[in-house]
Amino acid sequence: MKRFRFWSWFWLAIGAIYFFLPLAATAEFSMRAQKGALSLLAYQRVLDDSQFVSSFLFSLRMALLTITFGILLIVPTAYWVHLRLPRFRPLVELITLLPFVIPVIVLVFGMIRVYSSPPFLMTTTPATTDILLVAGYMVISLPYLYRSVDVGLRAMDVRSLTEAAQSLGAGWGTILFRIILPNLRTAALTGSLLTLAIVIGELTLAQYLARPAFGPYMALLGQNRAYEPAALAIMSFALTWAAMGVVYWLTRGEQAQIGGGH
Amino acid sequence: MAYLELHNIEKSFGNAVVVDNFELLVEEGEFVSFLGPSGCGKTTTLRMIAGFETPTSGTVHIEGQEVTGIPPNQRNVGMVFQSYALFPNMTVGKNVGFGLKVRRHARREIDSRVKEMLELIKMTDLEHRYPYQLSGGQQQRVALARALALRPKVLLLDEPLSALDAKIRVSLRAEIRSIQQKLGITAIYVTHDQEEALSLSDRVVVMNAGRIEQVGTPFEIYNFPQTSFVANFVGTLNAVKAEVIDPDKKLIGIDGIQLETADSLDGRVKGDKIIIAIRPERLNFVSVERKANVLDCTIENITFLGSVVRIQVKIGDAKFNMDTFNNPFLELPKIGDKDQVTCSKEAVLVLRD
Repeated sequence: MKRFRFWSWFWLAIGAIYFFLPLAATAEFSMRAQKGALSLLAYQRVLDDSQFVSSFLFSLRMALLTITFGILLIVPTAYWVHLRLPRFRPLVELITLLPFVIPVIVLVFGMIRVYSSPPFLMTTTPATTDILLVAGYMVISLPYLYRSVDVGLRAMDVRSLTEAAQSLGAGWGTILFRIILPNLRTAALTGSLLTLAIVIGELTLAQYLARPAFGPYMALLGQNRAYEPAALAIMSFALTWAAMGVVYWLTRGEQAQIGGGH
Repeated sequence: MAYLELHNIEKSFGNAVVVDNFELLVEEGEFVSFLGPSGCGKTTTLRMIAGFETPTSGTVHIEGQEVTGIPPNQRNVGMVFQSYALFPNMTVGKNVGFGLKVRRHARREIDSRVKEMLELIKMTDLEHRYPYQLSGGQQQRVALARALALRPKVLLLDEPLSALDAKIRVSLRAEIRSIQQKLGITAIYVTHDQEEALSLSDRVVVMNAGRIEQVGTPFEIYNFPQTSFVANFVGTLNAVKAEVIDPDKKLIGIDGIQLETADSLDGRVKGDKIIIAIRPERLNFVSVERKANVLDCTIENITFLGSVVRIQVKIGDAKFNMDTFNNPFLELPKIGDKDQVTCSKEAVLVLRD
């Protein structure tokens, strides 16, 4: 028993060191901007840079649009596959995994090639380019968002809930927005969080579509400065954890509701 | 004209015919059960009434109106599912009022109907609970209230008690029957549990392999099964091979032992092989002198079943089970004893194939 407990702690310590040591080193390095002392100078410089705020807000806006349209596309699709086309589930899963196989660079060059000349000319104005950017983000976040929604749908009796709602007079819109989506809250939020993390840090799409996103800003900063990129990494890590905390807070107690009890 | 009419319903999935030539008329306020083994087509038939499946051929009429092609959300048919299917994101009150809200009833009307339904299922104090905070029995009562809140034309129940434990099953089925009678609603109940079907229903439809085997009152189904399937599926039964001895006098024989039946032997001739059935509780030890159907037997086995004692006797080479009420003051026979058993000629059923 004692031996078992020792090895449990040992492996836990190894895992913690592997995870936290680089983080601690980055945090320590980010506070070395002032010679001979630990300070938050690098953080202050980052926050003072107007490009930091504008690029972060731009990426946040793109992320929210990606999440909204992604959910509007994926929830009905995954729901319909579960309800009516279960035999197509492997095919749909394969399609959602394609972004892992096709590099983003291929995707963005393909988009530029198709949409930078008539009849689909979309790269001439910022607004239309942003549409392309969001569409690209939707593709690269597809595996994460689809999987989250799929797991959520597997956790509930989709067919019985749908039929119960139908027998009570509900149409497809009511079923989707008042029964299915509210019960997918945790799954959708998890997928949204992953999408947010991907979009905030994404470099290739924004860079090649020439949009002022957070990813290219971080890359640029990394090329020109020493301490600020480390401060940015710590800040984005903190933001991700804060977002996860928000998700946890919003969905507390919901798992029990979906799981049911007897 | 009946309230619910199913005419020549057939349903196929690919090459497999799951419901075939289904013909049934149900009167208003009647409680009808579909009884049969798994895969016999009873749930598919129910789903065709609900509108979740479309018949390959045939028609469904409710209150004189054909509803065969009408989507489920426009049929006003209430449905209770085996898995309860309560909406997890809504409280009990919201679940019950969901149908009324969807149909844009006034808020005051919704509140009063929800209250009325919760009183009906005796759960007024649990209106603000979520489904996960309820027991299985309570969830199913909420599902029943939700289905009834819209005052549906027909209430459909798809094995609603299967997921519950035995004690709650018995009390809830009595509650379902009582509510159905109180509201006078037409109900179709799907089950594979014969006790449920017999205790709840005005009529039972026994199904096998997509076809109706027999339709009748629980009394008729149990006491006068018309086919081997019904006789074997409903209740415990002694079914043995026999031979026609004299069709006019309705005499048959088991291993040379003569028996009289009340069933018709028209169309049979001497020597025809038939199958006869006798319920265990219709056999008795001979206590007074009788002229017909007295059969010599040997006691083979005795099983104590609580209120009933099942005694297995051997008549010729055939083995019969005989049920007697448990009476601690009467002495039971011993295994190997020779005795005589008897039954009325009405108890000897000649089965169709």
